[in-house]
Amino acid sequence: MADYFIDVLLDEGRLKAIQEAGLGDHIKYRFAGELKLVEVHVSEDTKNKVLKEFDTARTDSRNAITDVPVAFLRELYHQVVAKKSLGDDAVLAVLEKSDEIKDLAAKESEFLPAPEID
Amino acid sequence: MSRFLIKRPLPHGGRLVERVVRDPERAKKMIKGCPTYDIKPTLHYESEVPVRNVYREIMSICYGFFSPVEGSMSQAEVERILKERRLLNEWIFPYPLVFDISKEDFKKLGVGSGDRLVLNLKGKPFAILDIEEVWEISDTEELADKTFGTPEDNPEVVREKFNKKHPGWVIYKSLNPIVLAGKYTIINEPIFRPPFDRFWYPPRKAREEFDKRGWRTVINHQTRNVPHVGHEFLMKNAAFTGDLEPCHGILVNAIIGVKRRGDYPDEAIVEGHEAVNTGGYIKNSRHLPTICLWDMRYGNPLESLLHGIIRQNMGCTHHMFGRDHAAVGEYYDKWSTQILWNEGIPSFGFPAPPTDVPYGLEIRPQNMREFSFCPTCKEMAYSETCGHEREKLSGSFLRGMVAQGVQPPSIIMRPEVFKVVVKWWKHFNYPFCNEKYVINKEKELEVDLKDL
Repeated sequence: MADYFIDVLLDEGRLKAIQEAGLGDHIKYRFAGELKLVEVHVSEDTKNKVLKEFDTARTDSRNAITDVPVAFLRELYHQVVAKKSLGDDAVLAVLEKSDEIKDLAAKESEFLPAPEID
Repeated sequence: MSRFLIKRPLPHGGRLVERVVRDPERAKKMIKGCPTYDIKPTLHYESEVPVRNVYREIMSICYGFFSPVEGSMSQAEVERILKERRLLNEWIFPYPLVFDISKEDFKKLGVGSGDRLVLNLKGKPFAILDIEEVWEISDTEELADKTFGTPEDNPEVVREKFNKKHPGWVIYKSLNPIVLAGKYTIINEPIFRPPFDRFWYPPRKAREEFDKRGWRTVINHQTRNVPHVGHEFLMKNAAFTGDLEPCHGILVNAIIGVKRRGDYPDEAIVEGHEAVNTGGYIKNSRHLPTICLWDMRYGNPLESLLHGIIRQNMGCTHHMFGRDHAAVGEYYDKWSTQILWNEGIPSFGFPAPPTDVPYGLEIRPQNMREFSFCPTCKEMAYSETCGHEREKLSGSFLRGMVAQGVQPPSIIMRPEVFKVVVKWWKHFNYPFCNEKYVINKEKELEVDLKDL
C-alpha cells in the first residue's frame, strides 16, 4: 500500500479522459459530490524525490503531497492518462521532466491567470 | 450576579502601555537636535529578501498590544526571556524583541546610553528610541536556537532542530549584531492604508468597541489565513464557551506582516474574514475582524503565549487554539500549544499552564480539535463528536485548488470569500505571497506618515 498520494482534480473534460483511460472506477467524489478527483499513489521513496526536487512541496496531515507547482499537477494529469496509471510510474514520469517544470514554475511564481467568476 | 460570570481581564501587566504622542508641536520639541536613523527591514542572512520590519514591533509595543513591554530589550531581559520566558518585571513573555543595527550604522550614529534616537520610516520621523543600553548579540544562530528551543533542551514539544527552513528562526539568525535597548515612543501617528485602516483596533479602542457592542465575553480567533468553512465552524462552535451564556463576541485578530511564500496576501486575509460577516455567515453584531502588526515567528506554543497576551490586552476573555497553532513544518509537536495551556511545558519555564503561574495570563484557552466535512451527516462535523469517516480539509489542498483556478466547493469556501481571493489575485497577478509581493510590501508597508 502506498504511503502518500497526490490529488488530481477533474473538470468535465478531464473526467471523460480518465474514464476513457479505464480509470473511471477510481474517481472519487468529495464534499457532497461537488469535487471530483483521482488520487495518484506515491511511495515513500518517490515522495522524497518530489520533495527534494521541488522546494515548495510538502506533505499535509492527510499524507497528501501538496504545494507542488501547477505545472507539475498539469503534467501529472497528462502522465496518468498516457500511462493509464495512478501509481508511482506516473509521478516518476513527471520527475523526468523536472527541469522543464521548474522553468514553468519559475514563471508561475510571478504570474498565474485569475479565473473569471460572477 | 452569578459568581460564574466572567469579567473582562485587566491588561497583562496590569495596565495598557500607550506610548503615542499625538501633539505635533510637542513631538517636534521632543526630536529637536536628535540624531536620526532610517528604519530598514531585516534582510534574510543569505538571500537578502526582507524577513521582518521592526516598525511593526514598535507599533504593537506603543499601542499596547504587547503590554507590559515598552521597548527594545536589554541584554539581561533577553537572557531572562530565553531562560524563563519572563520579563525582568516578572510578567511572562515569550520572545526577545530588539532594535538591531549593523556595526557600521552604529559607528556612524555615534550614539550611546542616554541618547535619544529619532527613527524615520519612509523618510519621515516616526518614533523615538531613548537608549538605555547598547549591547552586542554574540551569535545570532545561538539566539535563534535558544528562542525556539531544541529537541535536547525541550523534549516535551520540540521534535526537530530548527534551521533555515523555519521563517521565525531565520528572523533571529538574520538580526544585526548591535542592539540599542530602551523605550520606544511614537511621535508621528501613522495612517493605515486601505484595506487595513478599517480593521485597526488597538487595545484601548478594542475595549471601547466591546463596551459599545455589549460584549462582556469575547473569544478570539487567531488567523494568518483566508477563512474556509472549517475555520468558520471553529469560530461558531468555540463561541459556545463563555459563562452563563455563549461568548457575546467573536474577535478575529489577523496577524499582518511578512509572510511565507504560499500564504495568502494580508489584504485577502482581512477582507476574506470581513466577507464571512458581510455574507451573513456570522452576523456582524457578533463578529469583528481586526489586525495586529507582527512578523510572525511561527513559534507554535511560544507564539500562542504572545497571542494570549495580545488578545488579553485587547479585552478578550477567551482564546481558541487548534492543531498546529501558528506553526510551520514539524519542528514542534502538533498539539504543543494545547499541551502548554493544559499542563505547561517545564523546560520553557512553565511548570504549570500560563494561566496558573505567577504573573501569568487571565485569558481562558479553548483547546479545539478539528472540523471537517462529513458526507454522512452532510455537514461540517467536529472530530470529537462525529463518529463517521470525514473528509479532512487541509489548507494546502485548498491552496492547490485555488492555484489551479478551481473555485472550491461552497461547502469548504464561501463564494463571497473566494471572490475576495480572486479580487486580490487580479491586483497582484498571483493568488498567494511571492517574493515580489514581499519585497513590494516592505517598500509600501501598511502605513503612510504625514510630515511632522
